[in-house]
Amino acid sequence: MTEWWSSLRLRLRALLTRGRREQDLHDEVAFHLAMREAQARESGHVDAASHARRRFGSVAKIEDNVRDTWALAPRIGQLFQDVRYGTRMIRRSPGFAALVVLILGLGIGVNTVMFSLVNAVVVRALPFPEADRLVHVWHVPPPVQFPGATRFSVSPANYLDWDAQNQVFERMSLYAPRGATLTGAAQEAAAVPAALVSAAFFNVLSVTPLYGRAFEPGEDAPGKPDVVIVSESLWQTRFGGDRGLIGRSIMIDSRPHTVIGILPDSVTFPARARIWLPLVMTNDLRATRGIHDFQVVARLKPGVAVTQAQAEMDAISKRLEREYPVDNAGWGALVLPLQDDIVGDARTALLVLLGAVAFVMLIASANLANLLLAKTLGRSKEIAVRTALGASRRRVVQQILCETILLGLISGAAGFLLARGSLTAVVAYVGDTLPRASEIDLDARVLLFTLGISLASGIIAGLAPAWRLTRPSIQSTLNQGLTRTATGSRDRRLRSALVVSEVALALVLLAGAGLLIRTIGTLRGVDPGFDQRNVLTAILALPQVKYPEQGNRTRFADQVLARIRAIPGVETVSAIDSPPMTGGSTQPVAIEGQPARQMSEQPTAAVRRIMPGYLRATRIRLLAGRDFSDADTATSPAVVLVSESMAKQFWPNDNPVGKRLTLTFRPNVVREVVGVVGDVKMRGLDVAEPVATLYTPFAQSQWGFFTLVIRTTVPPMSVAPALTSAVHEIDAELPLLRVLTMEDFVSASFAQRRFAMELLGAFAGFALLLAAIGIYSVLSWTVRQRVREIGIRRALGATVPDVIRMVVSEGLKPTIWGVVFGVVSALALGRLISAMVFGVSPHDAATLTAVAVILTVVGITASLVPAYRATRIDPAVALRDEP
Amino acid sequence: MGEDAATPADLLQGTLELLVLRTLASGEKHGYEIAEWIHIASAEALSVEEGALYPALHRLEMRGLLSAEWDVSANNRRAKYYRLTPSGRKRLKEARDAWRRTSVAINRVLEAGA
Repeated sequence: MTEWWSSLRLRLRALLTRGRREQDLHDEVAFHLAMREAQARESGHVDAASHARRRFGSVAKIEDNVRDTWALAPRIGQLFQDVRYGTRMIRRSPGFAALVVLILGLGIGVNTVMFSLVNAVVVRALPFPEADRLVHVWHVPPPVQFPGATRFSVSPANYLDWDAQNQVFERMSLYAPRGATLTGAAQEAAAVPAALVSAAFFNVLSVTPLYGRAFEPGEDAPGKPDVVIVSESLWQTRFGGDRGLIGRSIMIDSRPHTVIGILPDSVTFPARARIWLPLVMTNDLRATRGIHDFQVVARLKPGVAVTQAQAEMDAISKRLEREYPVDNAGWGALVLPLQDDIVGDARTALLVLLGAVAFVMLIASANLANLLLAKTLGRSKEIAVRTALGASRRRVVQQILCETILLGLISGAAGFLLARGSLTAVVAYVGDTLPRASEIDLDARVLLFTLGISLASGIIAGLAPAWRLTRPSIQSTLNQGLTRTATGSRDRRLRSALVVSEVALALVLLAGAGLLIRTIGTLRGVDPGFDQRNVLTAILALPQVKYPEQGNRTRFADQVLARIRAIPGVETVSAIDSPPMTGGSTQPVAIEGQPARQMSEQPTAAVRRIMPGYLRATRIRLLAGRDFSDADTATSPAVVLVSESMAKQFWPNDNPVGKRLTLTFRPNVVREVVGVVGDVKMRGLDVAEPVATLYTPFAQSQWGFFTLVIRTTVPPMSVAPALTSAVHEIDAELPLLRVLTMEDFVSASFAQRRFAMELLGAFAGFALLLAAIGIYSVLSWTVRQRVREIGIRRALGATVPDVIRMVVSEGLKPTIWGVVFGVVSALALGRLISAMVFGVSPHDAATLTAVAVILTVVGITASLVPAYRATRIDPAVALRDEP
Repeated sequence: MGEDAATPADLLQGTLELLVLRTLASGEKHGYEIAEWIHIASAEALSVEEGALYPALHRLEMRGLLSAEWDVSANNRRAKYYRLTPSGRKRLKEARDAWRRTSVAINRVLEAGA
């Protein structure tokens, strides 16, 4: 150990005093030679000096060997030489190096960005201490009522029992995301994403505020002062970063709340929340067991596994089922690691995309290998000379790899800078499509990844030329000169193999992109059951304080609708509580005249409140009976509209119009079906199963918010400013939330798929371009190699079309093979993408045929330029050009 | 090769290092002296190749077994003198013991009754 250490010290010193050591070595050798010469002269040698030198051997070589002993570690000196050699080679052809760095750098940059997404969303732990102990606890609803649903919101009473009875969680917290309206401070009203949370929420997450304090136990009890915790960014943007905000009162939903804490922006839970308010556990709420409106986050005790927690929750659920059969029969519980739950479907999409960019990287490397092969074959003679002079095969390989790894690292640096430069744009592009998008950055892990693929691509690119150049046959190169015969055909095979793999990889990507394009096309073609064109929507939420009575709210709605109706370009205006594809209430229904059943066995329907004119605004078809009208009021008989699928499910053999039913949560109101309307894709365009839906009039229920649905005769967004001022003329402090067109809603429902399609499409395009470059460069090279042969053929009477056919078929062969391998791989990999495609088989023959044709056409096109060049070969010149 | 060059004994690297260490045990020497000393001490049976000697000297120096200093030689020229360090001395003892064991063993094999 000490010898090792002192040796390292000596070597370091040698490195630092390199110049003096060189001189010393020189003097030492000169002294030796002088001594030998003197001795030779004494013993009567005629030419003593040359005798001494001959006896000594090659001074340069010995000095070199001595220098090697100074190196920090064995072989490092050699490596330095190779790096120097590589740098020299790169500098000798800057154009080539630039091309390589362009191709590889772009590839590495794209890979880096893609990995930074995966890293931020999937790999990195949530930004909480011991985040792997955080879980979501959901209800699992009875499958009869909610077929296919596995994660269901939780009722407060069940949550309280879970919390009291379990032994597996350190703490649990009940919460609900919602919107809040900030007013006052002489600023425009702002709608801010918020969350209602029980007092233990921040203890579960284990976060402490930057300033102030978190909620204290019991602060969520009724009758406590209104307090609020705000996010760092809201504090900065809206309150100017003034620390005096703590203890001050701000207006939320028209009620004063005292700010008690400011949370760091790393707390992005629930997603996008900027305000956290105590979830006030009133006695009513504590007793609510049958209505599921909340979510539960919990922290496992140390050492408790998710499976253990699941077993415990299963046992508790069974107990609660027996204890409260009316509300709980059939209701289970599900414990999911928080991170998995938040990331959800995005994981598949991201991993598929990461796989796709890895393919792009492989193609880029194969391309680089191809370019290098052409270039290094030009150096065959030089390398053959060096091998003959005793350079070992290992050394030659090491030198080539050194050069390509150097190129890989330069490209890696370029790629990383590219990724850094484009990160802001990427985050903006990702937007809300991915969970945790705000956490995307380039951290040490991303840097390591970039370094890794830079090295890997350099090595992959260098292997083919290195392998080729050290084949024994190279020895014969010296004798033959660089021939265009035997070696030529072997090189051609190697280069063809690279083209085959490029084409195959590009085809797989193109097939994936094609399947997603078809998926999006299919989804766009799905009839949502309403006319999404020319409809503007906006959410209005009326604060309880300002609009305490239902009467106030109805009056407000009437006024606002009347004003909007008067805006030029507006055809109809109406409202719904939750528009399709945005979630909403699902409730058990009891039908009059059918045997009474326990709630857990009752059929369910999506329940939506609408205002008169909703059918006209959305162009949902009225199939039987009548629409709601202004005559349906709070005092007139209660009425409902049912969807076609609900009519078929509930009254399979009867006309539903005139039938009566009750909503189990409001058992005292008997409602009459007055009409049947067309089905709507309530849960997204990709849900084929129709959702039984029931509509009630706003006028006959209690409500606090609604979504305006405005059909326009002009582009809908152009009405937005007039809409905002119409609302503000009535209530200047009421913000409009989510002003969106109906088309936005619909496309938001498949945003993740579109995101995947756009990226995969871009990657596939890039891959296609690289493959084309690959085919082109191979053929150009082949044509150059075969100048003589082509010249002879021309001289013997081959026509221009003959030559073109010859060259193009040369390019077509590897292309076709690539297509074959690509199709087979695409079929094998189809399974990976099956979760993302809709309405098309992952092995869709039409898509595969189309991409096969595209690649073949690209292959032919890339062959045409070299083919044209071949036709220009002058036989006379070609024949004179002796090998 | 030079006309007076004996067939160079194939000195294994480890053996050469042992010889260098032994040579320096009798006091500091420069490279040429080391080569000559080995030549003479072996009754002119061994001839050290300079091509191997200098790398070996530097390697031993880098391993801390030798230290080197520039001094004036007998004929009044500047020469690099090598001497054993304490760990070099220790190493010499180990290597010499190992060599003796090996040569005794080899001799036994060679002289075993055939």
